[in-house]
Amino acid sequence: MKYKIIGGIIAAVFLLGVIGSVVVMTAQPKNTVQILSDGEVLYTIDLGTAEDTTLTVESGGHYNIVEIKDRQIRVKDADCPDKTCVGMGWLSSSSMPIVCLPHKLVIQFTDDTGDVDALTR
Amino acid sequence: MKAKKLSELALLTAAALIIFVIELQIPYPFPIPGIKPGFANIITVYAVYHYRAHEVAAIAAVRILLGAVFTGNFMALIYSASGTLLCLLAMLPLKKLIDENHIWMTSVIGAVLHNTGQMAAALILMQTPQLLLYYPFLIVSGCFAGAFTGLCAQFITKRLSKYRKVIR
Repeated sequence: MKYKIIGGIIAAVFLLGVIGSVVVMTAQPKNTVQILSDGEVLYTIDLGTAEDTTLTVESGGHYNIVEIKDRQIRVKDADCPDKTCVGMGWLSSSSMPIVCLPHKLVIQFTDDTGDVDALTR
Repeated sequence: MKAKKLSELALLTAAALIIFVIELQIPYPFPIPGIKPGFANIITVYAVYHYRAHEVAAIAAVRILLGAVFTGNFMALIYSASGTLLCLLAMLPLKKLIDENHIWMTSVIGAVLHNTGQMAAALILMQTPQLLLYYPFLIVSGCFAGAFTGLCAQFITKRLSKYRKVIR
């Protein structure tokens, strides 16, 4: 009996996780993108008007090379040990941020304000 | 600590480290930080059911520390340490509630809490609430990874039960 209860709790947690994942995955991408390092906003970029470019974000002697191309943004290269941020690919189809944990770098969609420059620092 | 017990714990730690290093060579299909199978935790789960709390803690601590030395990734050390801490805090009391035939349940709960601990550490370190958007994925992956490692530990327990009686 107790195993049914425990199993039920596990199933409920699993279902919540699946539902949450679906909600996050299906969230619509926005136009405005923020690049944060260590919690501070370094760049705010409007992908709708941004030109193709690459940015190098440095922090604590390490770097992430961020590429903007065809109105999409990704981490092209980094010198972190796991390169998870590179593997995450383009920030496009979901509202999941790109995160580089070792370098405390976050690339995320933010609310469109409409008056952001193409590239502001 | 008796020499026999010490060598048993050392053997388990070595096995966990080997699994940990081999696992690093497997490319992950899900490029989200914190999502990985965690096969080395087969040993942790097994140890929870056959050793005392401080012995399990010793195995886990040495494995995490040496794992960070082998990989050179000391940021990962903070995440795995906080995850393992929360995981062990739940699994050690749970073994009294859940018997050896349902180890996978303990393991799933432990894995989800492990990922919760990692998430908490990342939130505190990064100060980025957006990280929470990863949490659902971590829960789902924790359920799968925990069930798998738990089943492995369950099978090991069955296979070793005869042998353990002989050496006792």
